[in-house]
Amino acid sequence: MPTPVLLENPLRQGLSSGRTAPPCSLVIYGASGDLTVRKLVPALFELYEKHLLPVSFNLIGISRSVISDEDFRKKLKDFLAKAKPQFSEAVWNSFSQNFHYIAGGYDDFKVYQALSARLDELDEKNGTMGNRIFYLSTPPNVFEVIISNLGAAGLAKEDKGFSRVVIEKPFGHDLESAKELNVKVREVFKEHQIYRIDHYLGKETVQNFLVMRFANSIFEPIWNRRHVDHIQITASEDLGVGTRAGYYESAGILRDMFQNHLFQVMCLIAMEPPVTFEANAIRDEKLKILQAIRPFDEHSVKHLAVRGQYGPGFLAGQKVPGYREEEGVNPKSNTPTYAAIKIFLDTWRWHGVPFLLRSAKRLPKRTTEAAIQFKEPPNLLFKNNLNTLTPNVLIIRIQPDEGITLKFDTKVPGMTMEGRTVNMDFRYGTSFAEGTSEAYERLLLDCMLGDATLFIRGDEAEAAWAALMPVIHHWETTEPETPFPNYEAGTWGPVEADNMLERPWRHWRKV
Amino acid sequence: MTSDPSAQDIERDLTGLWKPQGEIQASGLRRIYTTNLVAYASDHEDGYRVEGILGDVVQYHPGRYILVRPAADTTEAPLRYYVSGRCLSWSDPEKRVCCDMVKLVAQKEVIENLYGFVFSILVPDLPVEFWWPGDMPYYNSFFEHMAKQATRVWVDSAKFKDPIQSVGRLAAFWHNRYPRTTLADMNWIRIQRWQALLAELFDGDWAKYLKQIKQVTIEYGEGSTPLRSFYLAAWLAAQLGWRHHQPRLAAFTDRLVFQGPQGEIEVLLKPVPAPDDRADRIFAVGIMTEGESPALFTVVRDEDPHTVIARSEINHKLAFSRVVTFEHLHSDDVLAIGFKHYEADPVWKRTLQMMGTILIHPDMTLEQKKQD
Repeated sequence: MPTPVLLENPLRQGLSSGRTAPPCSLVIYGASGDLTVRKLVPALFELYEKHLLPVSFNLIGISRSVISDEDFRKKLKDFLAKAKPQFSEAVWNSFSQNFHYIAGGYDDFKVYQALSARLDELDEKNGTMGNRIFYLSTPPNVFEVIISNLGAAGLAKEDKGFSRVVIEKPFGHDLESAKELNVKVREVFKEHQIYRIDHYLGKETVQNFLVMRFANSIFEPIWNRRHVDHIQITASEDLGVGTRAGYYESAGILRDMFQNHLFQVMCLIAMEPPVTFEANAIRDEKLKILQAIRPFDEHSVKHLAVRGQYGPGFLAGQKVPGYREEEGVNPKSNTPTYAAIKIFLDTWRWHGVPFLLRSAKRLPKRTTEAAIQFKEPPNLLFKNNLNTLTPNVLIIRIQPDEGITLKFDTKVPGMTMEGRTVNMDFRYGTSFAEGTSEAYERLLLDCMLGDATLFIRGDEAEAAWAALMPVIHHWETTEPETPFPNYEAGTWGPVEADNMLERPWRHWRKV
Repeated sequence: MTSDPSAQDIERDLTGLWKPQGEIQASGLRRIYTTNLVAYASDHEDGYRVEGILGDVVQYHPGRYILVRPAADTTEAPLRYYVSGRCLSWSDPEKRVCCDMVKLVAQKEVIENLYGFVFSILVPDLPVEFWWPGDMPYYNSFFEHMAKQATRVWVDSAKFKDPIQSVGRLAAFWHNRYPRTTLADMNWIRIQRWQALLAELFDGDWAKYLKQIKQVTIEYGEGSTPLRSFYLAAWLAAQLGWRHHQPRLAAFTDRLVFQGPQGEIEVLLKPVPAPDDRADRIFAVGIMTEGESPALFTVVRDEDPHTVIARSEINHKLAFSRVVTFEHLHSDDVLAIGFKHYEADPVWKRTLQMMGTILIHPDMTLEQKKQD
């Protein structure tokens, strides 16, 4: 991989903006879409404000919509001006001066030739040194055609500078399509050029799993089957399917949340310490976890996985429709909007420790967290006196209200041996002055810097699909055990999920 | 308020402040400490100013804040204390963050030996930031002990009455006298954004122009001391390997000459008209190069006080221009930014050393006399 040619700039030494990206052009496919307008460009603007975006930077939007450069900039500006309280027109004009737009079909080779010429011209004019990033923010069905055309147009070559491709989720629809996509992408780009994005990995708290586990010595000795009873990872949403019915009907909760986000969080909790803090060392360890997932079979899947779909109910006092009544949803749909899966990892560290993963729509609140529940003390000294003690739980909140809580038991002051569980709390929002950055800010910057640590490698994506496919297959080929809808919107999901916990002291957390 | 206080009295009163009381308990108050900050104010009036700044810094770095100031007159008690709580609601109105402020008002001679008392009321295991807002003392027992025990000492060279002497002294003796304590200057934080703006002009292909710099012009407010401009010039020199090429300076001058790898470099410090309240700021920096393609790199405050314009011209043609946000930093902002990073700043250390080679040797005999 050629290193970008960057002449040394000694004035950069010691500046807090030390991670400023090298000069580059960012090409966004699907530039008129929501992700570009709501996430990518605001993230770039934040990087610009923080002096982390290079002075030599071009953005080229590509989409089918026929609009001018001016209209493209206006659309982006209109959103940002509303979203940002102290929006400066002059700063925006400066930031967006090298934004361009090309209208065209993703299968039209002339568009790629025009893009290539435009990039060469901008390299010359703005000093972007042949460094290019192609961001695929499009529906997945056009990934292959874009990638193959980029290759044919010579845009994947790294003869002048770097060339990278960022691929949004979902990476494939199942194991076979993920393998096919990997083959197609690798025909054009080498693995080091490919950045498969999972925005969960850009979240501050998710990255903090690594710091918390490997920069502190107090957790590692108890981070194993001898001390941990089970681990719950929850990603709940209060929203319904909204405008995403078309996608969701074919994807369902497993493809939408488990194969990527929840599995990644599980990997960071369960992985062994990497030998170095480098992309491949970390991804090697994550891969081992995905490969250690005990395979589901036709029999075990019935006991280890629970599906559900929300019916009508109430959220914040407002009546909300059931999934089948949502616009664009088949009235007889059996698409799951709730899934709870019990996973066992066949490793020495985690043998016998269930990882309980749960995600759903229309639960009472939006929250994502991982809770490590520890075993009870081996000898309960206070069992006659204390009936209010609970096992220790370490809770890592990913969103909202990012932070860490440790639940532990203590004596209530007084003459009796009454115990109570209390919380020891750390919150990012209170202990650090600086707010946490948006995930896309971090990930875009990392991609520009060539740091793939927070991106998913091809073999990881395949291993995640491989582990999940038996559940997907079973659910897609059988009727739900309890007819859908089986939980009311605004509740914590189907009762069947409780039965999978098996032990009386295990309860799904009411997060 | 009480007389002859002890550390236990203060802790007791602080605990009393936070005892759950009806509605307050229900509002989800939590005490958070991320740092200790000890500040010294030189008199009653300065005390108000410093206290106001602390009240703002606490918004960003909740912790235990201790303000020490001399009593207004000699009839007051030798030592009095006041405790108060600061609650912030910016993070989450349901769960408000609170922290402590302890104000110690003492007779001057008591303050000289108050360091032990201050140490006893710090929150353990947290960094201790010591802010000395005034001029560098020649010898002050309180300063001396705090500087030896604190994690970091904050001075503000913008407030130095004799900046050449004081900066020279910092450069000459800090590291030897307080080897375990990091020194930080608020003025350095103020120019860091100028540094960032200048640095990004020379990224990538533009870096080659750094070796061709011939002249630097720094504009500052008329009537003010150009210490900040000196700092910026010293930073450029330290980072680019220039050596000062003139006799040491006993006073600020409008022209500095350095010897760079490719020849002589002239730095002009140019006063420009400015309102009194903004006179101490830098207004523009221009960097001119020579060579086959002469270039001019500038960072200039815009008419809009919230932005600056950074631009470059190569061969008298505009190469690029960008406008970036540039909000004025008040003292609380400066401290809040500074507290974010604990590591010592090697670039600041190098710059201070460079200042030490430009300015006249400080009068260390006075230093010695005071200590004796």
